[in-house]
Amino acid sequence: MLGAVPGYAETLAGTAIVNTGVLRYDLAGAAQTIASNTVTLTVAERLDVRLSHEGQGVILVAPPSALPTVVPLTLTNADNGSESFAIAATLSAGTIMLRGLSIDVDGDGRYDPSIDLPLVNGGSAPLAAGQSVTLFAILAATEVAGVRDAALTVTARAITGSGTPASGFAGGGDSGSDALVGPTGAAASVVVPLATGLAGPSLFKSQSVRAADGSQAAVRDSVITYTLEARFDDAVTGARIVDAIPVGTVFVPGSLTLDGTPLSDAAGTQASDAQGFSIVVAIGQVAPASVHTVQFKAKIQ
Amino acid sequence: MITRPMIAAVLSTTAAVVSAAAGPLQVTSSILAESRAAAADGTTRITLVKPSQITPGDKVIFVLAYRNTGTQPLANVVLDNPLPRAIAYRSANPGSPAPDVSVDGKTFGSLGTLRVRSLDGSTRAASPNDVTSVRWRLASPLAAGSQGQFAFQAVVR
Repeated sequence: MLGAVPGYAETLAGTAIVNTGVLRYDLAGAAQTIASNTVTLTVAERLDVRLSHEGQGVILVAPPSALPTVVPLTLTNADNGSESFAIAATLSAGTIMLRGLSIDVDGDGRYDPSIDLPLVNGGSAPLAAGQSVTLFAILAATEVAGVRDAALTVTARAITGSGTPASGFAGGGDSGSDALVGPTGAAASVVVPLATGLAGPSLFKSQSVRAADGSQAAVRDSVITYTLEARFDDAVTGARIVDAIPVGTVFVPGSLTLDGTPLSDAAGTQASDAQGFSIVVAIGQVAPASVHTVQFKAKIQ
Repeated sequence: MITRPMIAAVLSTTAAVVSAAAGPLQVTSSILAESRAAAADGTTRITLVKPSQITPGDKVIFVLAYRNTGTQPLANVVLDNPLPRAIAYRSANPGSPAPDVSVDGKTFGSLGTLRVRSLDGSTRAASPNDVTSVRWRLASPLAAGSQGQFAFQAVVR
């Protein structure tokens, strides 16, 4: 295998290569012409396939209540002939379900359940030599609980046959040509990293210390500024941020803020209060994809 | 190290069909593939065999064997082989005289002397992919009973 000739489309499987040489010569002063025998070779179908997924990042699979998550993949018939491919998908996590596999029939790059119907018997329609299509894997999480390090593995195999390169299938190619497995093994896989449950809110806490002398030493009377950053991917209601004032520190009155706005320390206020050793900030209704930041200060005793 | 046996010896093992044309000159065309095998002395032996399957990118060897079966010498022997469309010329096979080549079927010469005209009228140096036909000329008359062969390497587009 030297690889295809650059700049030329690959010769299609089933094409007959017909060769005849012509000899001319002079016999007793008269010009003569004869043809050789004709040799015919039929180009075989080389079975090859590629499957890819753009992007490196982890795909977040939507929770049960949301619309399914659609993972687009690119399936390429790398044959020199027409071929259908069997598509199989496996998921490493039991809490993620494969709702289906569909080809982007109308080629618009978007999954439309009414147009992009599920694969019939897990196989693609025949793809022309060199043709690429978008394959959608439609996923949904079955539980709200989070899963990290999950993976979707999709495999495509040439229907005519796959396996060890150069193994052949007599008469299995287009137009009765032979078929043989190409360098790809006529099979391709792609692994897409997945996660679920991260759509729930997350809270990150950080702190900075400032001593009376301006240093960051955590000594008596140093003031610690705590920052609580709450991230919400989805809209929620009744959100509250609760954090205990650490033992050995005392809350600095008037230091509580939400998104930079001071909140009352007084007990019984609607927005927040500093009760004993905890701060409680009621955020209430939260818009999707929002971040809220609470800060307060405590002095080391 | 690679050793190449005489192609004629290999040809005798392939089922090439001899030209049915009656006359003192016969020409036999074959399309063969290289088969490489490790020999006992550590070298790689290349033999030419009838290919079982060919696919784009495969190297093939075109062999044209000629023989004067008559009783008189034949003068001005010229062998033309227009290339099938799916075949890209590469080079003369080792051991074979180099053919003159053509990119238009009319003008023949060594590849380096040929140019290809583009659609916009400009020209560029011809490459092996541009070759559409090959031709050999015997410089001297072919004596009665004598034979020979020409061979070139090509790639399936």
